[in-house]
Amino acid sequence: MPTVNTGGIIMEHGVFINDMAQAGYLKVDYSRFKDIEKIENNSSTIDELNLEGDEISSLKAVGVNLYDNSLVGKFLIYGTNVYTSRPRIAGVEIIPLKEALLLYPDIKAKYYFKAVDREQDEVTRTAYKKEQNGYFIRVKKNVVVDIPIHTALFMHKENSVMCIHNIVVLEEGAQLHLITGCTSGCTLKEGLHIAVSEHFVGKGAKLTNTMIHNWGSDFVVRPKTATIVEDDGTFVSNYYSVKPPKNIQTNPFTHLKGKNASAKYMTVLASLPNTYSDIGGTVLMTGENSGAELVARAVNHGGTVNQTGLLIGAAKGVRAHVDCSGLMLSTEGVIEAIPGLRAMHPDARMSHEAAIGKIDTGEVNYLQSKGLEEMQAIALIVRGFLDIGIEEEGFEPELQKAIQQISELSGHGEE
Amino acid sequence: MLSISDLHVSVENKEILKGVNLHIPKNEVHALFGPNGSGKSVLLSTIMGFPEYKILQGKIMFKGEDINQLSIDERVKLGIAISEQRPPTISGVKLRSLIELLASERKDDAFIEDMVERFNMAKFLNRNINDGLSGGEIKKSELFLAMVARPAFLVLDEPDSGVDPEHLKKIGAMINEIIQQGNQGKISCDPLAKNSGLIATHSAAILNYIHTDKAHVMLNGQIRCSGNPGVMMEQIRLNGYKYCIRCQQLIQEE
Repeated sequence: MPTVNTGGIIMEHGVFINDMAQAGYLKVDYSRFKDIEKIENNSSTIDELNLEGDEISSLKAVGVNLYDNSLVGKFLIYGTNVYTSRPRIAGVEIIPLKEALLLYPDIKAKYYFKAVDREQDEVTRTAYKKEQNGYFIRVKKNVVVDIPIHTALFMHKENSVMCIHNIVVLEEGAQLHLITGCTSGCTLKEGLHIAVSEHFVGKGAKLTNTMIHNWGSDFVVRPKTATIVEDDGTFVSNYYSVKPPKNIQTNPFTHLKGKNASAKYMTVLASLPNTYSDIGGTVLMTGENSGAELVARAVNHGGTVNQTGLLIGAAKGVRAHVDCSGLMLSTEGVIEAIPGLRAMHPDARMSHEAAIGKIDTGEVNYLQSKGLEEMQAIALIVRGFLDIGIEEEGFEPELQKAIQQISELSGHGEE
Repeated sequence: MLSISDLHVSVENKEILKGVNLHIPKNEVHALFGPNGSGKSVLLSTIMGFPEYKILQGKIMFKGEDINQLSIDERVKLGIAISEQRPPTISGVKLRSLIELLASERKDDAFIEDMVERFNMAKFLNRNINDGLSGGEIKKSELFLAMVARPAFLVLDEPDSGVDPEHLKKIGAMINEIIQQGNQGKISCDPLAKNSGLIATHSAAILNYIHTDKAHVMLNGQIRCSGNPGVMMEQIRLNGYKYCIRCQQLIQEE
């Protein structure tokens, strides 16, 4: 009987079970990781930080430059140490969550596990029980932060566990671009990263959350993110996976609660052999005339990718579009695109598209006829495929290079 | 410059070119006439090396070198450039990205900037390659890319199809620019020095703007007759392609 590459998806009674979770992809033996490291209560300032050259480069490759003094604010969790900088403008707070909970007792009642359900799964329960490490960022009413704030979560110890809880609050009319880089540096192989992130976007506020991941080959990563957006608020989520971990599952959830609220998810992912990436997004629209767009792009070099987008229209005048596309650059591997729409109101206007394919050889030949070599042509096409309009102005040159390498890697992948 | 002998080519296992012989010397631009389906585009694509065109027999020599086995980009490096009739749209890839990549390879920024300005190409740079362009705009974009390549031999596939008269004049100017590049920046003893080329054209409208040295008529995968471009086109206009067939028959009878 011929063998069929199914990427490990199980087959029963001649039918593929269209659920990678059931196929065991999400089953992880957590016991192989060491206990969650305790983070000290006292935090240091960024000025006291003394990083090695490789570590600085690793952070820059995920978009974070902690030595850039023009930034409005900076925050780093480096293993078990926390470093912060005093925000350079009034109306912005960046403090470790532990300190924030002591300083502002109302945070617990208003924000702590108020967007993410602490009983959602094993990961959220662990985050609730074990630790309160992470950042609390608040931008006060009508304060516009026009230079990004950089935050980084740096795992530097082999086989360690980092458990993070972040809360971001934008009050009415506030604006913020937050760049968060998560990395295990360039030498680590194994670890577990758990992160709960809760975002609260107030009336007329705008939060752009750019997340960049660069992980070791045997990491397990479980981000749990939820965002609540009030009237006229905007949430933009940009996600780049420069180098995927062995196993990641994330399905960020956004609730467009207010009238005219909007959300946009843009996801760019490179999948490598022996990795599983379940990168999705769910947006619930209960605010009148709210709108959501979800755009996901994956290039697959032999791993398994599950792109699941679900938009739920449950109010008058909502509009939504989901677009999941994949490029297969290897004869191995699986991409499964599941763009989902759920209309719960007759006025909902919703659409979706999905396309998976290989590189068009006609396009490669055409670019070669203009003078590019085959690998250059493939890289350029992949770069075009991944260009979904993420605003890259202000990105570190190292990050831009890392993003470019996703497509250059693709060129080599054809060899 | 380009010499093709007894070329047989198949596409999807069907033989389209059935023994083409063609010689284009240095400093000459030739026109290629022929009805739809005669094999003009197949010949041009084979010269460029597109892999779906399989050479069954025969040889293509360029600058004295057998190029049958060379890849497309190797032929570009040798000096061949093509402007396609119906090039593909490349989603997400801006013309600027391609130009920048080519410019960095050739360290030719100043020349490219000059050409962008002279031929009013700036508005195309931020658009995806060939995406949503009119017929005339596609030809301009193709010729601009050929210009950047600075070829010694220019291959043009129907540069006048789907082009309005205003654009045709501009396209003619761009083609002349590329052809005359062969006599720029060089100390040449030959005042007539220019690049060579082969222009396939159905309507011959472009020939009002470009000087061609010789013309050929292709019918059913073969070049059946050759001669003065103006005279041949006039005969084709008056009598159709049967004019050429009659010529061919006369030659055979002699």
